[in-house]
Amino acid sequence: MSDHLATQDDVDAFRAEVRAWLAEHVPAEPLPAWTSREGFDLHRAWERTLFDGGWAAVDWPREYGGRDAGLRRSIAFAEEYYRAGAPERINMGGLYLLGPVLMQHGTPEQCARWIPDVLSCRTIWCQGFSEPGSGSDLASLSTRADLDGDHFVVNGQKIWTSMGAFADWIFALVRTDREAGRARKHDGITFLCIDLRSPGVEVRPLAMVDGTEGFAEVYFTDVRVPVTQVVGEVGQGWRVAMSTLGFERGAVFGDHAKFSADVDALASVVEHRGLADDTQALDELGRVLVETEVYRANVYRLAALAEAGGNLDSTASINKVFWTQMQHDIFDTGLRLMQEDAAVVGDPAALGDAPPGTRRAWADWHHRYWYARAAMIFGGTNEIQRNIISERVLGLPLEPRPS
Amino acid sequence: MTATSIIPPGAADEDRRELVRLTTDLLGRHSGTEHLRERLDAGQAHDPRLWARLAEAGLVSALVPEEHGGAGLDPSYVSGVLHELGRHATPEPFLETAVVAVTLLAGSTDTAYAGPWLERITAGEVLVAVRLGGLTPHVVHAADADLLLDVADDGTVRAHDASDLEVQELAALDALRPLALVRPGTDGVLLAVPPAVVERARLLAVAGAACLLAGATRALLDQTVDYVTVRHQFGRPVGSFQAVKHAAADMAVMSEMTTSAALGALDAVEVSTPEDARRRAWAAKAYAGDAAARANVSALQLHGGIGFTWEYHLHLWLKRVMSLAASYGTTSALRRELARELVDRQRERRG
Ligand SMILES: Cc1cc2nc3c(=O)[nH]c(=O)nc-3n(C[C@H](O)[C@H](O)[C@H](O)COP(=O)(O)OP(=O)(O)OC[C@H]3O[C@@H](n4cnc5c(N)ncnc54)[C@H](O)[C@@H]3O)c2cc1C
Repeated sequence: MSDHLATQDDVDAFRAEVRAWLAEHVPAEPLPAWTSREGFDLHRAWERTLFDGGWAAVDWPREYGGRDAGLRRSIAFAEEYYRAGAPERINMGGLYLLGPVLMQHGTPEQCARWIPDVLSCRTIWCQGFSEPGSGSDLASLSTRADLDGDHFVVNGQKIWTSMGAFADWIFALVRTDREAGRARKHDGITFLCIDLRSPGVEVRPLAMVDGTEGFAEVYFTDVRVPVTQVVGEVGQGWRVAMSTLGFERGAVFGDHAKFSADVDALASVVEHRGLADDTQALDELGRVLVETEVYRANVYRLAALAEAGGNLDSTASINKVFWTQMQHDIFDTGLRLMQEDAAVVGDPAALGDAPPGTRRAWADWHHRYWYARAAMIFGGTNEIQRNIISERVLGLPLEPRPS
Repeated sequence: MTATSIIPPGAADEDRRELVRLTTDLLGRHSGTEHLRERLDAGQAHDPRLWARLAEAGLVSALVPEEHGGAGLDPSYVSGVLHELGRHATPEPFLETAVVAVTLLAGSTDTAYAGPWLERITAGEVLVAVRLGGLTPHVVHAADADLLLDVADDGTVRAHDASDLEVQELAALDALRPLALVRPGTDGVLLAVPPAVVERARLLAVAGAACLLAGATRALLDQTVDYVTVRHQFGRPVGSFQAVKHAAADMAVMSEMTTSAALGALDAVEVSTPEDARRRAWAAKAYAGDAAARANVSALQLHGGIGFTWEYHLHLWLKRVMSLAASYGTTSALRRELARELVDRQRERRG
């Protein structure tokens, strides 16, 4: 089953297999949101079910528990997954950030040690890049790691760590060479994997804007980390990390089906609010529907380009700005269509006799609305993406930089 | 010209890439801004010499079946060609003649009538105008046309040759995209065209217009990037100011997404179900119209005063996108139609 040469028949057969498996396994009732301990554990169990079925990462190589499915089958998987209303993936960071980084930069020992548990979610990893003083200007980070024999000693703080409160390990950027960093701030940074149970690590949960959990600050005080837990070379962490950010910015191939499902829910809302003949409501619904169709077309085009061996680097920032704005538009539009009921969080009664799917979608709407707001901030804010597009894609002159 | 790293249309496929290259080369030589100026000064958009070149290069007959002298390609091959025609603001009825009319004629069962017209199209001898009911109340390039294919909303197709047409030219916003009201004198020839072919022709018109818009939007972006790179104020290129850069970045996002949607919509006509292809064509054009309108605003704003002069060529594209956005389905109309269909579909799904 060589990936690039999947014919339409191969893809259709694969799709049918996926659909059958999902029909049998997707929980009938949606899981509680993962931003509570209970919800998180249920999502983790679901990831295990996916893993046992061999569906945790169809695009991953077989040796790591994937199916080498190639792009077209991976897109088909994601389309079926979201169409089936399957749970949100809590393991995106492992699947698209850490896993690929390890495959690309890790030693064979590191791959053998960490990758299997990434896929099964036996180990939950979080991303420790941002610091209180280093957000957009990530390379200015100051959490330090000083060499002491065959260990690094880590001191500092990470913040806004998604799932930090539930995670077992963190992959962090730390400064190992302050001298090099003074000359060029991207130098002297190292990509380090740290067990959150190590002495000296303190995880302080941070409540998010909507009151949910899952966010954390992570403090390091003289935390001893074996040098064998460095990924890539010491001092080359910036390069290693940048190879992971493409995921947060680029197309997670296939997630268009998730947004289409959200727009379907909006259509039900329009009907159940008695707005089916309201020109303005139809305009709004039409606008977000159009955006999701455009996004789907972009996923297909990028997939075709990738299959033809094209380099998609220049598309990642463009894609991130578009999908995050589209996602925001969808959830914001939902609130507008709900009119006064938008001020009440997730009360399904507001949708009267709407079908269960729509009522469920509404119950979760505010939570996802806030997530949509966050997506314009994380993974490099949309302003940072516009800087990248204008300078690296369009070739506009650099802004004069303070030295 | 700009050296952006945006991926060109057709990049994923060698044959399409070749067609795009051919078109770019031809239009670069014969349909640059000088040509547009010349047509504007002449008060006549269509240029028979340019059309002859497009025909000689095999572009006009790309979709004409082989038995009538064409290449018999499927429409997805011309998406990049349309994108280039839009980028150059080429003032020719390529979409109407070489895509929509060819589709209707090639799909007609009246081969005795359609065949000779297809051959004359291949030879570059004739232009065909199309009227697609509510989608195009104003007929583009009607005064130049040798034939009008009039497609009613119920799907009947009537053919009228030029002698049967009363053409009332309108004061077109874009003088290089002339519009007219057309009144046929007789019932013309009732052309037998299967409903699926008529539907396909409509999809191609809408998706094709999106491709033209995608190209024109790309031109607005490129010209803006070029200009803000060379224009200096406060001792630096204005393109180094972040407010300018971010506006240009947003244009790039819209231009890229329009291109993906428009090219994809033409692909879909060939490979998707008719419903899906229709949804994609409508979405592509709805988005393209809106994105082009916003790119239009930014392009002029970022050019400042110079963009406001007749002498500077930016306005040719500003008007082209406005004219195209108003044709083959406006953004509002297409959005509402899609929304209404989705609400109905959701209702049906529940039975
Ligand atoms: C829900 C959520 C989850 C997150 N999860 C993680 C995680 O798991 N791991 C992790 O490491 N981080 C995470 N982050 C942090 C995220 O990456 C940062 O918030 C982000 O990079 C922005 O940094 P900042 O918050 O310090 O904002 P700042 O950098 O202080 O920016 C403030 C404002 O200034 C603008 N700005 C800054 N610099 C420029 C510039 N050069 N040009 C123009 N505008 C500029 C920004 O766009 C923004 O609007 C998460 C954030 C959120 C909201």
